[in-house]
Amino acid sequence: MRLQCQMLIGRGALVALLTLTFFVTAAGAQEPTNGIKVEASSLDELLDMVKTGFRLEREATQKRETIFVQAKDLQEELLREIEGRVATEEARAERLETTFAINEENLAKLEDNLEQRLGTMGELFGVVRQVAGDMQAHVWESVTSSQLPDREKLLERLGRGKELPKTDDLEKLWFELQREMTEQGKIVSYTTNVLTMDGDEHPREVVRAGVFSVISDDKYLVWDPDIQKVRELSRQPPTRYLQTVGPYQDNTGEGFTLLAVDPSRGSLLNALLDSPSPTERVQQGGYVGYAIIVIGIFAGVVGISKLVTLSQTNRKVKAQRLRNDANPDNPLGRVLQVYAQNPTLDPEALELRLDQQVIEEADQLDHNMWIVRVVSVVAPLMGLLGTVTGMIKTFQAITMFGAGDPKMMAGGISEALVTTMLGLITAAPLVLLYAFISTSRKRILAVLMGQSAGLVAMRIEEPNV
Amino acid sequence: MSEIEAYAAVRDFVETGGDVLLVIGVVTFWMWILILERYWFFFWVHPGSADQVQLEWDAREDHKSWGAHKIRLLLLTDVDIELQRGLQIIVSLVALCPMLGLLGTVTGMIEVFDVMASSGSGNVRGMAGGISKATLPTMAGMMAALSGLVFSVQLERRAKKEGRLMSDRLITTHV
Repeated sequence: MRLQCQMLIGRGALVALLTLTFFVTAAGAQEPTNGIKVEASSLDELLDMVKTGFRLEREATQKRETIFVQAKDLQEELLREIEGRVATEEARAERLETTFAINEENLAKLEDNLEQRLGTMGELFGVVRQVAGDMQAHVWESVTSSQLPDREKLLERLGRGKELPKTDDLEKLWFELQREMTEQGKIVSYTTNVLTMDGDEHPREVVRAGVFSVISDDKYLVWDPDIQKVRELSRQPPTRYLQTVGPYQDNTGEGFTLLAVDPSRGSLLNALLDSPSPTERVQQGGYVGYAIIVIGIFAGVVGISKLVTLSQTNRKVKAQRLRNDANPDNPLGRVLQVYAQNPTLDPEALELRLDQQVIEEADQLDHNMWIVRVVSVVAPLMGLLGTVTGMIKTFQAITMFGAGDPKMMAGGISEALVTTMLGLITAAPLVLLYAFISTSRKRILAVLMGQSAGLVAMRIEEPNV
Repeated sequence: MSEIEAYAAVRDFVETGGDVLLVIGVVTFWMWILILERYWFFFWVHPGSADQVQLEWDAREDHKSWGAHKIRLLLLTDVDIELQRGLQIIVSLVALCPMLGLLGTVTGMIEVFDVMASSGSGNVRGMAGGISKATLPTMAGMMAALSGLVFSVQLERRAKKEGRLMSDRLITTHV
């Protein structure tokens, strides 16, 4: 840019300089300014505009200066006023401090007084506080709170112990203690809000058996201290126990009805929720688990189809033994056909031909059988593989978090155990399936090897049968 | 009353042992049905059919030609198939029993670790349920396998012996 300027000056200095100034000024003037004409069409006009600009700016400056001077006076006035207020407040603070000191002294005197007058009663109030605190914790956990929800406040007030309990309160505490005791031994029916599985709340008729179980509509409920409500369980105990609920609730009070209760006050019922469902279990097995299931299903399908084929063949072979003509739809028939096709061969040659056909048929029978056998052996081994990978995960968890918390290791351990379980569950039916297949095959093979030659011999002896 | 008690005792045993114990029970029952069927066969059915086969063979005049040997083999195979029937299933069921016991061990251990994961290792009572589900099926599987093993081995030997005896009874004359 600078080089360009020098070149321009070199050629025709004045004109170029003017032109340059004009461009620069015009560019600057294009920015919008307050009320001033934005564009200049000639140099004179530009000059005028500059002049007007100067004047306007000077006027604005003067205006602002006047405003500042006025404000300065105002500020000083404000300052004086505030200083006055500070002085007043300080005086008041001093006065209050003196009163506070006097009150402190009075308080100390009064507290001494109180202590003297309380005497041995102080211990009593301590006990009341402690008992109220314990009772509050107990009531928080107790299912009786669903029936008597308004005890919390009194106990909390007494337990905090900021003030001395009145005789009235002491009597109430005594009453609540006794009432809780009595209620624990009772079987009562009442209406309370029940949190259902879908998260709704409905008032329902429930039966509470002591502090052990709450039942309603053929279901067990549990007391949830965190929400201070009775909640439906998402998983109910076995039907044998569940069956006792309905008749018990319908019982009109005559005779006896059996009811299964949870003696641990709900923790056994809650443990039901913790045990994962079968699908969750399979997911715990991880990739190895899925692999076991896949090969297991594959071998199962192969094995069952093999078993069906073999039992059909077995039936056909049995039918063939009763027939005189060789039917080529079964192995025995095909072996017998060898004789039918070569009736003139001497016994030795015939036997060789028969053996050859039997070997071919045996190959046919053995087809695909190995899959079932191999998978029934491999599945537990894959389970073992899963055990090892699971243990590796467990030990990694131990390396990271230490052995203190068994929950950290749970993931690896459940993988280890679930894969072993899946391996065994897969292998057990396959072992049985293989036993069936192999029995069938053996029977057919025994007929082929032991009896085909015999049948041929019978035909030779009695050609017209 | 005692029947109800016995029923309750069995039910409690099955419940503490879990589902696997039930499966072991079914397998063992099946195995014993098969074993008893075999003994019944050896004592009541086989002697009669063996005599009949021998009569059939003795009725033949020719005992030495190639055809006669083959027909003798045919008769022996017939007997042998009957002798061997179901034996392999029994052997497999015997092998299956400890396997199912092991399965019970694993499912029981899973339960123990479930309890451990949800309530820490302090809850020994909670774990006890899983431990009984681990140990009872193992014991039951072992017992079932042992009881079955003795008889399955004996039955196999018996089948072989009867087969040999049969082959001795069908006399051949060599050419």
